[in-house]
Amino acid sequence: MNTSGLNEAAQKAAALCEKSRACVNDFKAWVQLDSRNLSDGQQLAVKYFIVAVILFFAQILFGLLAATQFIFPGFLYEILDFSVNRMIHINAMIVWMLYGFIGCVYWFLEEESGTEIVGLKLGNIAFWVLTAAVTLVVLVYLLVQIGPGKDSSLWFINEGREYIEAPRWADIGIVVVMLIFFYNVVATFSKGKWSGIAGVLTLDLVALAGLYTAGMFYMTNITHEQYWWWWVIHLWVEATWEVLVGVIMAWSLMKLLGVRRKIVQTWLYIEVALMFGSGILGLGHHYFWIGTPEYWLTIGGFFSALEPIPLVAMVVHAVYDSGSHALKSGNHPALAWIIAQAFGNFFGAGVWGFMHTLPQINLYTHGTQWSASHGHLAFFGAYATINIAFFYLAIQHWRGDVWMGGGSQNAWRWKWALGLLNGGVLGMTIALLIAGYEQSFIERAVEGSTWGGYFTAQNHPSFQSAMIWRLFFGGMTFAGFILLVWDLLTIGKGETRKAPEIIES
Amino acid sequence: MIEPVALEDFFITFFSSALIILAGAGYALLFSWSKVNPSIRIKIAAYVSYAVLVLAVAVLTRAAHFQGYWLIISVLMAVGYFFAPIGIWHLCVKTHAGSNLKNNNNNNNNNRG
Repeated sequence: MNTSGLNEAAQKAAALCEKSRACVNDFKAWVQLDSRNLSDGQQLAVKYFIVAVILFFAQILFGLLAATQFIFPGFLYEILDFSVNRMIHINAMIVWMLYGFIGCVYWFLEEESGTEIVGLKLGNIAFWVLTAAVTLVVLVYLLVQIGPGKDSSLWFINEGREYIEAPRWADIGIVVVMLIFFYNVVATFSKGKWSGIAGVLTLDLVALAGLYTAGMFYMTNITHEQYWWWWVIHLWVEATWEVLVGVIMAWSLMKLLGVRRKIVQTWLYIEVALMFGSGILGLGHHYFWIGTPEYWLTIGGFFSALEPIPLVAMVVHAVYDSGSHALKSGNHPALAWIIAQAFGNFFGAGVWGFMHTLPQINLYTHGTQWSASHGHLAFFGAYATINIAFFYLAIQHWRGDVWMGGGSQNAWRWKWALGLLNGGVLGMTIALLIAGYEQSFIERAVEGSTWGGYFTAQNHPSFQSAMIWRLFFGGMTFAGFILLVWDLLTIGKGETRKAPEIIES
Repeated sequence: MIEPVALEDFFITFFSSALIILAGAGYALLFSWSKVNPSIRIKIAAYVSYAVLVLAVAVLTRAAHFQGYWLIISVLMAVGYFFAPIGIWHLCVKTHAGSNLKNNNNNNNNNRG
C-alpha cells in the first residue's frame, strides 16, 4: 500500500472515530443520566450492569436460535450449530448474572463500609480484563466450533465440561478476578466498618472463589470427575449465589422499604443457616446416577425434601411484614421485581424442583427437558429478577433519586416489561414441562433410555408442539427484554419530584 | 434400595410432589394471615390446606414406594410443614419485637402529644 492509500485509510478511521464519538454523545444527551450522582464505586458498578444487560441480550438471542433449531434442525447447520448456541445461551446467563451480582456489591460497598473502595483502580482493571476475556472466549466459541480434543484445545478453545466450557486460561482469569473482587470487599470493610451483611458477604466470597477451582482439574475416573464438577454447578450456583442474593436482598430491603438493619441481618443469618443446612447436602440429588455409593440416594432425597423450608419461611415473613408495615416505596418497578423474585424463587426452585428430585422419579426425569423447565424458572425467578430490581434501584439513583412510585410517567413500560418477561419465562417453563413429561415417560420409562426411545420421544407430536410453544414464549421474553431496556434508559427522565428519603423503621 | 414409581403413577407422583409444596406454602400463608388478621375462617382454611398437604404426602408415599427408613421423609414432611410456620412466626415476632416496641412508643408519644 502506498503513502496516499495509508493516509486515506487513516482519514477514514479518524472519520469513523469522530462519527462514533458523535453517536455516543447524542446517546448521552438523549438518556440524560448524570454520572455526578454516582460515587466512584457506583460508577464501577454501572459498568458491570451495562455488560450484564448486553450478556442478557446474548443469552436470549442464542436461546432463540437454539429453540428455532429444535423445530428446524437444518437452520444454520454447520454455520452456527445447536451445541454452540446452547453453550453460549447458558454461559451468557451464568456470566451476566455474575456481572450483575458483582455490580450490586460494588454499588453498596462504599455506603455499607462507610469509606471509599480501597482497590478501585484494581477493580476497574479487573473489569476490563474480565470483559475482554469474556469477549475473546465467545469469539473463539463462534469461530472454532469443531476440532480435535487436545491439551491445547482444552487450554485455549473449550474445556469441554458442560456449563463451564470456558478454556483453562479463562478459568484461571475468572478466579483471579474473583480474588481481586474479594480483596476489594475485605480491604474496604477493614478500612471502614464491618457489619453483619459484610461478614456474610466476605465468607460467601471465599466460597465463591474457592469452589470454582473444583471445576479446574481432571480425574481419569468419570464418577470422580462428575463428583467434583457438581461442586461447581450445584454448590457454586445453589449455595454461594443464593447467599449472595440474600445479601443483596437484605441491603435492598433496607433501602427500598426502610426495614431495620437488626431485623434484616438476623433474618440473613437465619436464611443462610437454612440454605446451607439443606442446600449443601441437597447436592446429593445430583449424585444419584453418576456411579456414587447408594447412600447418596437417601441423602439427596432427604435434603431435597428440606430445601423448600427457607421458602416457607419467606412466605410467613412476607405476610408478617405486610401485616405490620405498609409496603410503601418510591420505586415501584424495583419493588415489583423483588416480589417477582419471591414468587419465581418459590415456584422455580421449590415446586418445580421438588416435583422431580426424589430418586424414585428422578430416575426418569434426570437430564430431560424437565430439568430445562426447572432451570428456566429457577434461574430467572431466583437470580434474574433480583438483578433487574437492582438495575431499577441504580437507575433511580443515577437520575438523582427521582420519584419512581405511583403516578410516574410511562409506567406502562415497566409493567409490560415485567409482564412479558415473567409471562414469557413461565410460558417456556410450562412448554418444557410438557416436553419433559412426555420425554421422561416415553424415552425413559416406556422405552428404557434406548436410542429408539429417544427418537420416538423427540418426534412425538406433544414434544414438537411444546417446542413450538417454547419458541413463541421465547419471543415474548425477547419482547419483554427490549421493553425493559427501553424503560431502563428512559424511566424517570423529566421527573422533577424527588423520592422520599427512606429511613429505617 | 429404592423402587422406582410405576408407569401408571407417573402423573400422580409429580402432582402430589408439587401439591406438597403448594399446600405447605398455602398453609404457611393462611396460618400467618390468621395471626395478622384473626379470623376463624382463615384459620379453618389454613387447616384445610394442611389436610391437603397430609393427603398429598400419603399419596406420594404410596406412589414413590416409601418403605423402611424412607417413611421418615413422609413423617418429616407431615410434622415439619405443620410446625415450621409456627416456629417461623415466633421468630418474626421476636426479631421484630424492638421495632414494634419503638412503633408503639412513637404512637403512645403521639397520643400523649
